[in-house]
Amino acid sequence: MNSTAQKLETATPIDTSCYADVTEAIGKEAVRILSDGTVTAVVGYKAGRRAGTAMPAIVTDPAKATELIFSPACVNNLALYLTKAKKDVVKKGRVAIVAKGCDMRALAGLMGESQIKREDVFIIGVVCAGVKGSGAGNGEPLTTGNIARKCRECTVHTPEGAGLIAGTLPSPPQLTPVEAEEMARLGAMTPAERWAFWKEHFSRCVRCMACRQVCPFCYCEQCLCDKNRPQAVESTPRPAGNMAWHIVRAMHLAGRCAGCAECERVCPMDIPLNLLNRKMAMEMKELYAFEAGLAPQEKGPLTEYKDNDDQSFIK
Amino acid sequence: MPKMITEQNLRILIDTLVKEGARVVGPKQAGAMTLYEPLTTGDDLVLDQLPRRSVKETFFPVCETILSFEKKEGKTTVQDVDVCAIPETVLIGARPCDAAAPGILDAVFSWDYKDEFFLERRRKTTIIGLACTKADDACFCTAVGLSPAEMKGSDLFLTPLEGGGYACEAPTEKGERLMACHSQLFGDASNAKPLPLAEPVVEKLDLKKIKAWLDGNFESPLWNGIADRCAGCGACAFLCPVCHCFDINDEGTADKGERRKHWDACGFGKFTNHASGHNPRDIQNKRYRNRIMHKFTYYDDKFGQTLCTGCGRCIRNCPVGIDIYAVIEEIHQKGTGD
Repeated sequence: MNSTAQKLETATPIDTSCYADVTEAIGKEAVRILSDGTVTAVVGYKAGRRAGTAMPAIVTDPAKATELIFSPACVNNLALYLTKAKKDVVKKGRVAIVAKGCDMRALAGLMGESQIKREDVFIIGVVCAGVKGSGAGNGEPLTTGNIARKCRECTVHTPEGAGLIAGTLPSPPQLTPVEAEEMARLGAMTPAERWAFWKEHFSRCVRCMACRQVCPFCYCEQCLCDKNRPQAVESTPRPAGNMAWHIVRAMHLAGRCAGCAECERVCPMDIPLNLLNRKMAMEMKELYAFEAGLAPQEKGPLTEYKDNDDQSFIK
Repeated sequence: MPKMITEQNLRILIDTLVKEGARVVGPKQAGAMTLYEPLTTGDDLVLDQLPRRSVKETFFPVCETILSFEKKEGKTTVQDVDVCAIPETVLIGARPCDAAAPGILDAVFSWDYKDEFFLERRRKTTIIGLACTKADDACFCTAVGLSPAEMKGSDLFLTPLEGGGYACEAPTEKGERLMACHSQLFGDASNAKPLPLAEPVVEKLDLKKIKAWLDGNFESPLWNGIADRCAGCGACAFLCPVCHCFDINDEGTADKGERRKHWDACGFGKFTNHASGHNPRDIQNKRYRNRIMHKFTYYDDKFGQTLCTGCGRCIRNCPVGIDIYAVIEEIHQKGTGD
């Protein structure tokens, strides 16, 4: 729900002609793979009741497969539905998933963490010109003004490594990297100013846990932050616990977060959580020349121990 | 004689109340959204959008301390929180879907246990409601028995007028008192014409039919898959003006701490997790069924009211697009067909 996306430039419409082709291709493929038994379910998007909205949908009946759509309202990272946190949703068999380029990174990360097996997943990759950011009206077309912040810096409009790529992409416009600029602004602050920035944002947190619940990498069956005997993090929505929770979240995702920015999108209190994720990603790149989710990789820098690891920080 | 207040005098009213020492709460800008927050001047009031969080926190805060404890030399002392310290409050700018909410919650907070924290705030708060001149595609107050002009819950009710200002009606004594104490700010509204109010965007539903269907269909196949996509967060419940579940946690150190009451949500996986490890609502579909059942039948059974005001916050903010109106509309159809 983050509405901090600034309408910096004059909003011009973005060419969304590819979405109709993608929708048609998803429908055809979903009917085929459900009918011939390649998969038992397709995780995709359906239109919502309100015009211009979309929502995740799990389709098992080939007759309903043509209800699947792709549009600039298809914001969700559906990789969530393949994690053990959602294990009761698709109980058995091979599953197909509609994945945008950005969602592919989460799938690669989950494969690396042995959460899903490549052979168990049929990936319907979709070309994507961008999805709408929070604050965009349901009836509005996708424009350079209302596109999601993450899409402004997208480098994966056409996914790689999918079983099928649906649609062809019109050349996407060059957009101001609003989030990178915000990162730079924060980076230039003094530690005290940054602390004040986050304190103010975290003060609004109500601990609805939407950031955790939509994260493909928050699949722990027992979250540290739910523990109460003993309590590790105060569970009440107060400054101490809020700060602790968001720092724990960021640290646990360092080197794992695939950058889908779902945590930030769903935050009902508009906390710009992806800035934290990106900061962690920057550190990982600088310290270990590592980027999460580029390819399935079992061990990341923070989950692997080597005898010759630098230990100088232990004092 | 019908009364009116100009936009400017409404702001002066806030300034005056603040000067008199009252706590004035109303929609205030917080980044791109508004939230119900204490106003320091009349200029803080922002009335062009529905606040992201509902009005319930004015009476039932996100988190509050209900007692504190301290252990000294082997002896533990417990200190109650003095509810008398809760200040006189004027809540201003509540839309009908928000203004109606505290009254619905009175029933549960004064049921078998009298929740003095909630009830004292209710006693000390005057609610100034505001009619709606616009609605969006998530609004459905008219479907659940309210309307853009509904005064239920308001002590003073404002209706926007053509050319600015608001017509004022005082359905309660509290509202009359507020007007009488500041009579110089209110003028004569006899020639004023109200702005057209928001048009309903959805069909009115028969809540009795919905309830009747729910009563007989706890095990209906409708529930299988009703919320497969639900991520299990608390956004819907936390933004809802009438969801009122809370948890109580003791926090602090072994020697000193506080007992805190804070919002909880039936969508959380651990909400009904028993100490034994058994969880009667073990999957998200059962949790969502409870959400619907509680709102449209259980609360009615206990208190004769529906636990939904149609504000649409859960629809606007659900991370996975769950649409409670679509759900109850489907149930309504089933109820009509049976």
